Amino acid sequence: MRNRLHELWQYRDLIRNLVTRDVKVRYRNSLLGIAWSWINPLLMMAVYTVVFTVLTGDQDGTPNYPVFILSALLPWNFCATAIAQTTNCILDGAHMIKKAYFPREILPMTAVASNLINLLLSLPVFFLLAVAMGNPISAWVLLLPIVILIQTAFVLGLGMLTATLNVFYRDTQIIMNVLLLAWFFLTPVFYSINHVPETYTVWGMDLAVRRYLQWVNPMASIIAAYRDLLYYGAPTGWDFLLRTAVTSFAVLMGGYAVFQRYSWRFSEEV
Amino acid sequence: MDTAIRFEGVSKQFVARHAGPRSFQELAVGLPRQQERAQVAFWALREIDFEIAPGETVGFIGPNGSGKSTLLKLIARILAPTCGWIEVNGRIGPLLELGAGFHPDLTGRENVFLNGSLLGLRQVEVHKQFDAIVAFAELERFIDMPVRHYSAGMSLRLGFSIAAHVSPDILLVDEVLAVGDEAFQRKCLERMETFRQAGCTIVFVSHDLRTVERLCARAFWLAEGRIRHTGPAHEVVARYLAAVEEGR
Repeated sequence: MRNRLHELWQYRDLIRNLVTRDVKVRYRNSLLGIAWSWINPLLMMAVYTVVFTVLTGDQDGTPNYPVFILSALLPWNFCATAIAQTTNCILDGAHMIKKAYFPREILPMTAVASNLINLLLSLPVFFLLAVAMGNPISAWVLLLPIVILIQTAFVLGLGMLTATLNVFYRDTQIIMNVLLLAWFFLTPVFYSINHVPETYTVWGMDLAVRRYLQWVNPMASIIAAYRDLLYYGAPTGWDFLLRTAVTSFAVLMGGYAVFQRYSWRFSEEV
Repeated sequence: MDTAIRFEGVSKQFVARHAGPRSFQELAVGLPRQQERAQVAFWALREIDFEIAPGETVGFIGPNGSGKSTLLKLIARILAPTCGWIEVNGRIGPLLELGAGFHPDLTGRENVFLNGSLLGLRQVEVHKQFDAIVAFAELERFIDMPVRHYSAGMSLRLGFSIAAHVSPDILLVDEVLAVGDEAFQRKCLERMETFRQAGCTIVFVSHDLRTVERLCARAFWLAEGRIRHTGPAHEVVARYLAAVEEGR
């Protein structure tokens, strides 16, 4: 393990160059360039706001709904784009894998890192919107880095798992598109976790729906934590966040173990 | 450290692509009748033993599909051996798949840094070598242009130039010289000669037997994944040629 970390350290320039490449290439041939990292979430926020306040009126009771949605949309976008990109990262990097030896985990790491940078670049637009709409910002946002760290660990772990799977079964990337969409609806992004009923009765059985959702879906807790800190300006449920942290780092270790187990075969399979 | 590269009983097996299930559907359908599925396994190399001393220039010759490129990729750690033991001492300069790994949207300059770090070079080292790399590739006028506008020859020249400036202890050369024009080929050979005089180990794979004879002291003749013959380069080349003549 220490040897692996030492080797990664040796290749730190490669990691930096690959991340810079990703960020540069993303906006290089576009007119508005880096401004898209602000415009894009704002446009999506506008769509959700129109759908859920004007068209259906579902969320009329939520004050500052645009701020409410954006506080969850930014971390969700990070999760979805990072996992989609990481799933494909080994195939996308095939030309590099066939050319030289380097620690293969650099590819998922850079895919996640460049999306993380995108999240950090887009955060200021949230604060601008919150100030403009008069949504108070409390000192609790200073705890945001902890939540971001937990989410990054989770996304990287899951991404390494799907990336490995995708090398051997190309169906993975297709299935991931559907799964990410389903996952989006099962995660309280455009609704609040408090809108999920505590219990739901099916065929006489009482199901603790909200508890299940939070147990099965770490993203639910992560998004809820973001929203607590950013939108409500309140401390988040720490016991819950701690459990999510443990889950996330377990996913990271598991994903890394699987990735390491099979990475020597990547150059033959891509 | 009296050895640069050592192979001990190294074998490499490839399982052909269509043999394993490539999709979940095939996996699900294939599970009940797993025994029926023919394993299309192919031994690219079998029980290879050799040792190359630091500073030696060694050539590998043999017909297509005899395992030469696989052998280079094993030395470069791009592939892992199925069984056996490989020891490699020193930094490797892989002249393999040159020009691959360039990103079309980035400029030549950006790609030099990216490719340099891919070969394990530190950023500062690339900085130091940058002018030399560009000058050797003769791309001064085009270095700030996106690589998508480069011709195949330009990419190749840049690729060779980067790999040739990583100051490797072991240089792996796989048939790349066949692609550039006459002048550039000569330049590359000169560069390799400089490396050799500087004490660099060179492993050379080529169909150009005359170059092998001229550059290499020792040669290996690979056939069907095994070492058929080894010895002084001119002797191995002569035997190989004789066998090819006979086979005709």
